[in-house]
Amino acid sequence: MDSLNLAKFFRKELFIPSLKSKTKNSVIKELIHPLIKLNVIKNESILYQTLIKRETLGSTGIGKGVAIPHCRTLTVSDIYIVFGLSKKGIPFDAVDNKNVHIFFLIVAPPQDKNNRYLPLLGKIVEVVKDSKMHKALLKIEDYNSLIEIIKNK
Amino acid sequence: MAKSQLELLVMYQDIDLMLRDSEQEKGELGFQIEGKEKLDSALNDLAKKINPSFLRTYKKLRTRYKHVIVPVKNNICLGCFAKLPTSYSMIGRKDDRVIKCEQCGRILYWLD
Repeated sequence: MDSLNLAKFFRKELFIPSLKSKTKNSVIKELIHPLIKLNVIKNESILYQTLIKRETLGSTGIGKGVAIPHCRTLTVSDIYIVFGLSKKGIPFDAVDNKNVHIFFLIVAPPQDKNNRYLPLLGKIVEVVKDSKMHKALLKIEDYNSLIEIIKNK
Repeated sequence: MAKSQLELLVMYQDIDLMLRDSEQEKGELGFQIEGKEKLDSALNDLAKKINPSFLRTYKKLRTRYKHVIVPVKNNICLGCFAKLPTSYSMIGRKDDRVIKCEQCGRILYWLD
């Protein structure tokens, strides 16, 4: 897990500084949107439905204003992380029933080289559970400040 | 738009995989996993829409391979790395037919 450099997985095109959605389903659609623009999804309907199904298993809103919607799907050929912020917060059925301000959407293919998916997911959980980093994430203004926070992770 | 049999199979595999990952997500990553029954039932609902012979093929191959449906890139099956006949890609890219790799038998899904 230590060999995974988290910052490498983030891209400026996949950074949403101000999410507009007001519901769980619409924010998932909004988070998928940059991936569609990047032309890296073969079938966006399958991706959306798979992410919604993952929420059936248990909300990925892990509390303290953070959600990590994620899935493995054959409709993408590589791992992508979309980062989104909402100042107002969005209801996401989070475990603490609080609105979510920070979103990490993670999608990966089933056959991922070096099996990076679950370790990467674990690393993001680790970052958001670190109270110092969590505070810093809530204050993010732009893409560079995000990279600054996670660059040593 | 109605989904093709191949698209339904892809969704089936995605959910199947999700259920397999869930124990690790719960145990090692601390995610709350409480809706396994709901997801099992969603998988069963999806199974009803899939042609029984395709589903039998999926389940049979699932005993042999971790991933039954595999991507194709540059006309190569990424399950066994066999080169596929050129004629396959013309049909396969449309996602409306279930095509199997001649060498390993896995179901093919064109990504490019």
